[in-house]
Amino acid sequence: MKLQTKKALARGISGIACFSLCLSMILGIALEANAATIDTYLGTTSEVLASDNDEENPLYDKFTPPEELLNEDGTGNSNALISAAIDLGRREAAEGSVLLKNNGALPLESGSNVTLLGIRSHVNLLGSSFGVKAQGPYISLEQALSQNRTDFANTIAWSVGSRGAAPSATITEWKGDEFDFEGAGFNLNQTMIDIYEKLGETYVHYENEPAAEVYDPGEPSVDEIAAVNGSYKDSFVEYGDAAIVVIARPSAESVDYLPGGVAEGVEFEHGEPLSLTKNELDAIELAKEASDKVIVLISSSASVEIGTLKDDPDVDAILWIGAPGCYGMLGVADILCGRVSPSGGLFDIFTTYNMSAPAMQNMGKMYYSNTDEVITRTGGVMGFTPGAYTIEAEGLYVGYRYYETRYYDSVAGRGNASSPVGAYASTESWDYDKEVTYGFGYGLSYTDFTFEFQGEPTFDISVDSETGAPNAYATFDVKVTNVGDVAGKTSVQIYGQAPYTIGGLEKSAIQLLNFEKSDVLEPGQSQVVSVKVDLQYIASYDETYDNGDGTTGTYVMDPGSYYFSVGNGAHDALNNIMVAQGMDTSKMVGVGNAAQVYVKEITEDFISKTLFSVSKTGYPISNQLPYADWNYYQPGEVTYLSRTDWAGTYPKSYTDMTLTNEELINNLNGKTYTLQTEDDTSDILWGQDNGIKFYEMFGVPYDDPKWDQLLDQLTLEEAMYIFTFGGPSIPGADSIGTVETYMTENAGNGIAVNLNASKDPAAPWAIPASDPNGNWHPEVFGNAPLGASTFNPDLMYELGEFTGIESLFTGINILWGPGLNTHRHAYNGRNGEYYSEDPVLSGVAAMEFAIGALDYGLVAAPKHFAFNDQESERGGVSPYMTEQRAREVELRAYQIAFEATKYDTEDYDAGMRGLMTSFSKIGSIECTTSEGLMTEILANEWGFIGYAVTDIYDDTDLWSAVLNSGTTCFDTRGQAGFYSTTTLSSSNLFQNLVEGRGLDEHFIDGDANLQLKLKEAVHKNIYAWTESHLMNRYNATTHIESQLTWWRAVYYGMAGVSGIVMLAGVGVYIMASAHKKEEE
Amino acid sequence: MKKGIVFYLNLVAALLGAAGVALAGYSSSLSTENALSNGGLVIAAGVAGVILVVLAAWAPARMGDHNPVTAVSVLASIALYSYVYGQCVLQRILLIAGLFSYNSGNTLGWTIFYATVGCAVCMIVACILLIVGSFCKSAKAA
Repeated sequence: MKLQTKKALARGISGIACFSLCLSMILGIALEANAATIDTYLGTTSEVLASDNDEENPLYDKFTPPEELLNEDGTGNSNALISAAIDLGRREAAEGSVLLKNNGALPLESGSNVTLLGIRSHVNLLGSSFGVKAQGPYISLEQALSQNRTDFANTIAWSVGSRGAAPSATITEWKGDEFDFEGAGFNLNQTMIDIYEKLGETYVHYENEPAAEVYDPGEPSVDEIAAVNGSYKDSFVEYGDAAIVVIARPSAESVDYLPGGVAEGVEFEHGEPLSLTKNELDAIELAKEASDKVIVLISSSASVEIGTLKDDPDVDAILWIGAPGCYGMLGVADILCGRVSPSGGLFDIFTTYNMSAPAMQNMGKMYYSNTDEVITRTGGVMGFTPGAYTIEAEGLYVGYRYYETRYYDSVAGRGNASSPVGAYASTESWDYDKEVTYGFGYGLSYTDFTFEFQGEPTFDISVDSETGAPNAYATFDVKVTNVGDVAGKTSVQIYGQAPYTIGGLEKSAIQLLNFEKSDVLEPGQSQVVSVKVDLQYIASYDETYDNGDGTTGTYVMDPGSYYFSVGNGAHDALNNIMVAQGMDTSKMVGVGNAAQVYVKEITEDFISKTLFSVSKTGYPISNQLPYADWNYYQPGEVTYLSRTDWAGTYPKSYTDMTLTNEELINNLNGKTYTLQTEDDTSDILWGQDNGIKFYEMFGVPYDDPKWDQLLDQLTLEEAMYIFTFGGPSIPGADSIGTVETYMTENAGNGIAVNLNASKDPAAPWAIPASDPNGNWHPEVFGNAPLGASTFNPDLMYELGEFTGIESLFTGINILWGPGLNTHRHAYNGRNGEYYSEDPVLSGVAAMEFAIGALDYGLVAAPKHFAFNDQESERGGVSPYMTEQRAREVELRAYQIAFEATKYDTEDYDAGMRGLMTSFSKIGSIECTTSEGLMTEILANEWGFIGYAVTDIYDDTDLWSAVLNSGTTCFDTRGQAGFYSTTTLSSSNLFQNLVEGRGLDEHFIDGDANLQLKLKEAVHKNIYAWTESHLMNRYNATTHIESQLTWWRAVYYGMAGVSGIVMLAGVGVYIMASAHKKEEE
Repeated sequence: MKKGIVFYLNLVAALLGAAGVALAGYSSSLSTENALSNGGLVIAAGVAGVILVVLAAWAPARMGDHNPVTAVSVLASIALYSYVYGQCVLQRILLIAGLFSYNSGNTLGWTIFYATVGCAVCMIVACILLIVGSFCKSAKAA
């Protein structure tokens, strides 16, 4: 070879090798920095906790999965786990689906020949495209109705994100076991199935889809059906026993429906995305041609406008099924074939027009008129739009509280309730019957029940002599009798009404106080169901009450007549009360039964007006969120809806609000904490040698002095790491013997980690990569409203327990879920992740879930605390509201869940041990930095102890203020390799703080307050860990061992080979050059 | 000696490098939160890379074909270009992950993403041109 050619070759190969070397280094850095996330997706394990496991140092002895999910040798049984998930998902849908209408068409007999209509009957909506997704293999409606066995070969759930994101399969394929199930035994019209299969090429749908700001449900027209098969109607003759039409409206994170947001060219009945389209209504007309029995299934997480169907005598039955998850269609089938009698109740009120809700007058994207002039704070790492707000002028009257209270006042003839202002379906006067389709809590059964109070309720009222903490409960014994022909169960919902005076405190005419569910009762069988009501939840928050100690605002119990009622939903319960009060029944919508009402005259002697001015922790309650109210800053600019004058106060749309108040502007700019630099911090101990290790802290009470000793061992830097990086990967601390661990994941309907990608691969029950069911993904359950609609605390608890079991199999000890925000309105795209519009239903559901999960060592951290009332501009949007509204609606759900008094014992203060804060503000202050919210209310009033993480990368510029508020850490997804790859000063997230500098280990050297807050935050985090199954993995010998994963080997090899080749090329080049010189 | 194809390949590589550096700077200037933490160093490395490519293009005319200056310059500029696009991408991984999942509405983020992709494409194509040029004769006889 010529020397010149040789040199060219050497030079070229060196170039390639150099490029390859650089590429492999970049790849390596990227992979290592995100190793934890990569491991989750690839099922690899980069690091393992290694420990001796012997009698002296036992492991995996604190939390274990149930024996029935293990093999005889203690290893995990994936088949048993999946079978259990299928069973639970089935029962969730069977109890959560709500029968709204039935003229006798349901149930259908086994063997019925059925025609399915609507493209969603073929491609079912099972979950949210982001948030609570239905992952992996599923059982379709068609399968559940007509088959008995699945190999999951053709039923892998797909998902498509918002804003044109590419669709993808949630798992690539299923090579695991086949599963038997008991289907409904129907014969399905294959002609229509084939047609929808073909139409699916044009109208592409997925099992997980999002809402959209401009929405089109993608339902083909009748003409398009005919174009595929012109003789399709011929098939109706054979399959005419029933026609089932499926209509769906999806929900997902990050995007809302918007008023009037409908796709051009698609005819919506009301011009709104949650109304039915012409094609959907035509499909129902087609069903009428196909059969005398027309059944409509509504798959949604919000109120769909189905008033037309309710009023249509030819629509025989309507069943709401939520987004039922991977196996929920089996439960739907159980109801359709009559194997199970429906027993669910509506999670939200279903209205004729969703736009008639007062909350809808102020939702969506609204911005201050002078944002550019006065807002200097940027949108942060997430690129949020500054200056967004919403005025929640509906006040207390969210969801059914508005419709039922206005109904009550309209019958009573007061407060201009009958005025047409705010009427959408009615014209001359506001008419409940026209405005509302189905009420909150309402649901039918295949049988009938009677409800009868058994004597007087038992009142248990006392005050702690030391702290003043109240204890006030009423237990109602309700005799439930099945007076129908088939077996069934029913919820027992107790509602209450507090005395209201015109011009006095705003009060809802009816509110849910608690609920239980009966057993399955055979015809004629009775059961006495006890429902314990916390009377705190019928008290009202009076922002103007003078507490006599310089503070204002607290809960008050106005003396007067308190009405308690049991009913099939809020409207039924209210009707009962109205009859008991002797109101004009001719003006009522529906009938009432005074026998289902209990009236209690509450006097100062019985319950003092200020009994609830002290929290259960003994902490005095006063106003903590004055900045929530726009009028606090700029008085008189906002009018909140009031019963004194429904017409005069019905909300207007507050667009283009102008910021003029300096404090308001400063708050919005994040200037809420001043970092100190010169404090004497010598009394705050760090880096002590007290000889205590983390593993010793299992079961040590939060207030045990041993904690102080442990915390004093931490260095200030270690504590800052634990506060700064709150997961999923959480830093270790050498001083207390912890190592970096991947601890957290989403979501509320299961753990978002494949079965064979456990973060705790050393657990005896961990499913190995070789397991045929290894790629099963545990996010399989229905959306939150479906769980809520069961009105079954035991089932809610069971869902939590099962998620806890999943967490043991996947090695995740903290769950970022469930969702616990309030359905402020139907258009919130994320309603599928949140339970309900009612705080008691939501709070109980979350509490049961969390306590159940904790049984298996999973810390459930509900999100988003608080006020995530819309997804539009969710990042930093300012919802303005009264403190009464904040406390009695949104915060009440969290309070119930966090206090969890149902599970308190003398020795143990039960409660949730985690939460995630909201992207949104409360008024002008970020929730993450609100001391009133995070410390005064959450910690002091409710006694919350645990992990309180921000939402992803939220408010990282406000590091000091976040720490000061009582938030305990930041969600730093993707950050790992702490103290080396990722340090306090190298993480991009914390380099643009409001203080005008970046974070480093000396940032709070001179701030005593923040050092003390840091100690408290870390205490709460570590305490939460000790309550979790993380403790299974720790003993005196625990250390970390790195693993050579295949992807690590690939980039190591690539870098090594590239380096060698490059050096060889350079060598050849030099030698050739030298040889050439010699020749010359 | 007449300028061969390599001269023109290197010239294009230099221009692409300059465009890549400009895009890196642009992407860094769009928001404080997503600015390159070592932006100055990245720009300096890119500029140095461009100078070295120019040097690699110029050297054969003065030092003959397959001279060591060109060879070293090409390797160094590949490394420097890689550093530029590597830093741009690595520091935006979290941003990009968010754009394709929970934060798809981040319009500014998408602009940064497109600028980052543009930078990476320019730099990678420039590297490929430099490699192709390395296999060729730098100059041809007059």
